[in-house]
Amino acid sequence: MKSRIFIIGGFNKTKFLAHSLIKKGYSVTAINDDNDKCIALAEIDRLEVFHGDGSKPFVLEDAGIQGADMAIALSDKDADNLVICELSKKRFKVKRTVAMISDPKKIDFFYSMGIDSVVCSVTTIASYIEQQAFMDEITTLIPIGENNIKVSQVHILDGAPAVGKKLKDLNLPKEVIVGCVQRGDRSLIPRGDTRVLAGDVLVLISSDDHETVAVLELTGR
Amino acid sequence: MRPFWRSKADDYTIIAGCGRLGANLANRLSEEGLGVIIIDLTADAFRKLSPSYSGLTLVGDATYINVLCEAGIERASAVVTVTNYDNTNILVAQIAKKMFGIEHVIARLYDPEREFVYRDFKIDTISPAVLSMKEIDKLMHPNEPSKEEVRQ
Repeated sequence: MKSRIFIIGGFNKTKFLAHSLIKKGYSVTAINDDNDKCIALAEIDRLEVFHGDGSKPFVLEDAGIQGADMAIALSDKDADNLVICELSKKRFKVKRTVAMISDPKKIDFFYSMGIDSVVCSVTTIASYIEQQAFMDEITTLIPIGENNIKVSQVHILDGAPAVGKKLKDLNLPKEVIVGCVQRGDRSLIPRGDTRVLAGDVLVLISSDDHETVAVLELTGR
Repeated sequence: MRPFWRSKADDYTIIAGCGRLGANLANRLSEEGLGVIIIDLTADAFRKLSPSYSGLTLVGDATYINVLCEAGIERASAVVTVTNYDNTNILVAQIAKKMFGIEHVIARLYDPEREFVYRDFKIDTISPAVLSMKEIDKLMHPNEPSKEEVRQ
C-alpha cells in the first residue's frame, strides 16, 4: 500500500509539497480550514482535499488520518501545529509527525513534546537569504549536526588569490578539507599537488569557525 | 476566593489572555494582595481590569518564550491560560509545565475533546461547556444528586 501523508494548514508550501510528494508516489491528503484555499488546492491532480480545522480531533478523524504514515503541520500558528502533531501522534497513531514553527526558541520544546521533526521557517529562510545576499561565491550545501560542520561550495573567480596555486601551498586551516574540485563537467578528487584554476568549484567540508578563514584564503573575500 | 496555591510566601501568578475570565481573575488575585501579571496581545484588553488593579500587565504573545521569560515565568508559582484559542492555551500550558516545571498550570479549553492532550502532563483543565452542563443539570433536577455525587 502507498504511504499516506497528511498536510495540514498552509497554502503555498502545501501546494508545492503536495506536488512533489504525489510525483514521488505517495498518497497525499491536504486539510485546510479555508474554503477558497481548499478549492484552489483541489485543482492539483490526485490530491485529496479536506475542508476543516485540523486541530480538531473529529476533523482529523473524518479525513481518515488514523494510522497514517506522516502528518505535516504547516499552519502559521505554532500552537496549532503543536496540537495537530500531538493529536496525530497520540490519538491517531500517526507514525511520523513534522511541525513548522516560527519561534526558534521553541525548537527544543517541540522535540521534547514528541514531535519527530521540527522545521523553523524563520531561521531557515533568514540564513538562506543571508547566504544568497552576502556570499555570492559560496553556497552551503548541507549543515550537519548542530551547525558545526558544513559542506559548502566555493566558486573560484578569475583573479582570486588561490588561482594557479597547488592545494598544498595554500594556507588552509587544518580543520578544512577540500573534498572535491569540479572543473567544467568533470569532478576531480583533489590531491596536494592539484592546481586551483579560475572557474573551479571547490567543495569544502569545514567547521563553522574555519569556513570563513578558508574562504578568505581561496577567494580573497 | 482563596486560591489553593496561596500557602506559598512568594506567590506569583501569570495569566495569559485578558478576556472577561482573565481580567476578573487578575482583579481578584490583586485584591487579595497576591503577585500577578497578565499578558495579552493588545493593550486595549487591559481596559477590563479594575482601576484598583495593582498587578502588572504585559503586551505580547504568550506563546513566545521570550515573552514568558519577560513575564518572569521562572519564578511563577502558577500559570493560568485563558485566551480565546484552545491551541494557544495548550501550547502555553505545556511550555509552563514541561520547560519551566511550574507546579500549578490551569488551562481553559472550549473544546473538551482536546482535553486528553493534557492528561499525561498533569495540567488542570476547565471547560465552560462541561461546567455549564453540570450547572444546568443541577438547576433542572434540584432534588436529585448529580451524577458525580452518585459516583462518589
